[in-house]
Amino acid sequence: MPYYQTWEEFARAAEKLYLADPMKVRVVLKYRHCDGNLCIKVTDNAVCLQYKTDQAQDVKKIEKLHGKLMRLMVSKETHSGAMETD
Amino acid sequence: MVLLENDSFLTELTRLFQKCRTSGSVVITLKKYDGRTKPMPKKGYPESFEPADNKCLVRASDGKKKISTVVSTKEVIKFQMAYSNLLRAHIDGLKKKDKKSKSKKTKATQ
Repeated sequence: MPYYQTWEEFARAAEKLYLADPMKVRVVLKYRHCDGNLCIKVTDNAVCLQYKTDQAQDVKKIEKLHGKLMRLMVSKETHSGAMETD
Repeated sequence: MVLLENDSFLTELTRLFQKCRTSGSVVITLKKYDGRTKPMPKKGYPESFEPADNKCLVRASDGKKKISTVVSTKEVIKFQMAYSNLLRAHIDGLKKKDKKSKSKKTKATQ
């Protein structure tokens, strides 16, 4: 279960994995305040992508990715990139 | 597992974060949900279920207490804004990267 070293790679791989099979993929976010770290995992029970950080600047990135995936899940579109603004 | 409304879920999630400040972790899971409430039928049985395409399930736990909520397209905008604010407000114990010229400034503690 590899931990990605760069956020960019992780984000790209995560989105790709989700788009391959939206129903199978789940996103897990684990925050430990006492240890001061945040870990995000995206898996479809076959492939597992993980990213761990203790940097405050990554929180915003992680939270944005989370929001993006959430919006993908509730949209009826079968492909990403189509953001409806009404 | 307690299934809550979006607002109650956010309130409870805030409480989970506050409880875990001294020890423990908060785990949040996000997954696409097709709205089924009955178990999957065995092979050969007709699947009399129309999967909905516009919902997702959000779960949270501190190891002991579990909460969850279902978010659909209509609620996602509101939920996501409140949820992002919540995460940003509570996930604040991480290191701040400040290797820039600030280290050159001498802190005057006179």
